Amino acid sequence: MHGNRIRGLCAGMIAGVLALAAVATPPAGADETCNSPYMGNLIKGQEDYLYVWALGVKGMGDGSDKLVTLDVNPASSRYGKVIHKISVRGQGEAHHMGFTDDRRFLWAGGLDSSRISIFDVGTDPAKPKLVRTISDMPTKTGYVGPHTFYAMPGRMIVQGLSNKDGGGVTGMALYSNKGELVATYPMPTTDGGDGYGYDVAINPQKNVMLTSSFTGRKNYMRALGDLVKDGEAMKKFGNTMVVWDLKAMKAKKVLSVPGAPLEIRWSLKDGDSWAITASALTSKLWLIKPDASGDWQAKEVAIIGDPTKIPLPVDISINKDGTGLWVNTFMDGKTRYFDLSNPEQPKQTYEKVTGKQVNMISQSWDGTRVYIASSLLANWDKGGADDEQFVRGFAWDGKELKPAFEVDFYKEKLGRAHHMKLGSKAMKAAYGLERTATLR
Amino acid sequence: MGSSVPPRFADSRLAVILAAVAAAAGIVVASGIVLDAHEPDVPGAVTMDFVPPPAGSYALPAIMRAPDGPVLDPGGRRLPLSRFTAGKITLLGFIYTSCADARGCPLAYQVFHTVRHRVSEDAELRDRVRLVSLSFDPARDTPDVMRHYATAAPPNGVEWAFLTTERPRTLVPLLDGFGQDVRVESDAHGRPAGPLAHVLKVFLLDEHAVVREIYTTAYLFPEVIMNDIKTIQLEDRLPRKVVR
Repeated sequence: MHGNRIRGLCAGMIAGVLALAAVATPPAGADETCNSPYMGNLIKGQEDYLYVWALGVKGMGDGSDKLVTLDVNPASSRYGKVIHKISVRGQGEAHHMGFTDDRRFLWAGGLDSSRISIFDVGTDPAKPKLVRTISDMPTKTGYVGPHTFYAMPGRMIVQGLSNKDGGGVTGMALYSNKGELVATYPMPTTDGGDGYGYDVAINPQKNVMLTSSFTGRKNYMRALGDLVKDGEAMKKFGNTMVVWDLKAMKAKKVLSVPGAPLEIRWSLKDGDSWAITASALTSKLWLIKPDASGDWQAKEVAIIGDPTKIPLPVDISINKDGTGLWVNTFMDGKTRYFDLSNPEQPKQTYEKVTGKQVNMISQSWDGTRVYIASSLLANWDKGGADDEQFVRGFAWDGKELKPAFEVDFYKEKLGRAHHMKLGSKAMKAAYGLERTATLR
Repeated sequence: MGSSVPPRFADSRLAVILAAVAAAAGIVVASGIVLDAHEPDVPGAVTMDFVPPPAGSYALPAIMRAPDGPVLDPGGRRLPLSRFTAGKITLLGFIYTSCADARGCPLAYQVFHTVRHRVSEDAELRDRVRLVSLSFDPARDTPDVMRHYATAAPPNGVEWAFLTTERPRTLVPLLDGFGQDVRVESDAHGRPAGPLAHVLKVFLLDEHAVVREIYTTAYLFPEVIMNDIKTIQLEDRLPRKVVR
């Protein structure tokens, strides 16, 4: 199909849809509970698709990292099935993803390759299309390991995990939605800052951005069994979070949060101004909130499992009203639920072994559907029979996680299942062809 | 308090919106006399719970160059958009005159109104700042409709341009260039149905038509916008960053 014809068709389509009633969609408090507050187009009903960013495994299928689309609508004849997959070049340690603010594009990063793959999920949500690859983040910014992709209006914050030397001192790169580098912001290394980076979470009403800290490339690309025996290497993990002035993009305060604080979630309840995180190595939940004088503080509020056994809490997912938190612990394969009715004293009320290794967890807006994926990092995943690779869907009735479907990623020759994002056929964008053409 | 909505729009959504906006803003529109409210309340607006950093204490990176293309002014004249994006610090937003979502176009209109009022009171900014409202909806928002829409914003010394386009084909490159989404709601079969939706975005451009900030509902605060405008103004004494 030629460009002119496409434009003509789209112009006609525009005229048609513009004749319909028009409304603006305000960005809500978050994504389906765990994304940027600047994101619009939340899926508050039944999601249709689950996008899974999977690590390629040599000799398995095409061996490449790939974006896999699952049909997760129980009303569909293809429920629980793989309906689409698109590979990117080679094995780059596929890890996390994030939608642009308008949910039209899904950015996905490789921690080893430092490549960022941008998929168009707006033109046809059932069939994501790779429209751009950013390969020069290391040369342009000095940062490697693009980890968190956090939408801001018209642009994307990309938190690096490392630098070109493989150490942990890193920073954030700000890109326009079209994929052009706009600015860089180094993680603080003074006033208590250790320079590490991991997650990003913003509270616009407070003008606060929080960041957390993990470790550098030398550690995250190393076999976990070797790493834990290396005392010096184990010292090279982040022990801080940073409170930023969002508008100024300047670090305001470094908080002491020992043991690699990872995912950060703000409470989505109106009027709340607290966030929670889990420290992976010390197995604790931490509450971040301002004290009576307005000064931001981090406070240990709960223990996750038995820290002496290093259960390794990884992903967390907060529910829409800030009253509950899912916590996956990788080593024991457990999915735990904490009651956050009093965020100062979270209480675990449920746990279930959901796999031999579990990492990411996502939930629907209403919390009744929960999705779990298995892979942490290629060299940190378990071996032998414990190396299950899956996405499992569950129904949650407030009391029990009931299995709903499972996709065996090894059996399907898809690789290791990592980050998940929800999609909907209702999110189909108008005029997608023009936008996609411009992004290229 | 009354409304000067033209009779032809008396029973239209535009009339309702203008009246609602005027009422929310505390604008008194009667017999050509219009009084601006200083701090109008907006239903659904997000509360700003912080003191913004002072103007000039932070940098606004160059995000992208604003697109250019033909637009129509309220007189129906065909002009390049660059006529309205370069030469002054510009606050630009896309609107539909039929948009009734309180946190959508009416909110943007309200914030524009407040910013314009504050700019008008600043002798150093008055001639250096303009506002632009560009319609998403060329089919219904003709130059004539935009001219009537503009009546709720009478002259106060600060330029406010109400623009539209001739047809969707000339609108799309502008939407595309700014990265402004438009989404079609679909039915269970994936067919277009229901309203047209978009994420509210407002763009702040410097005098070289470079986008320096983008605001959405979650961060559309007049105090912040004013500080950003002044931050750009203060840059005149500093070397300008190169923009792709």
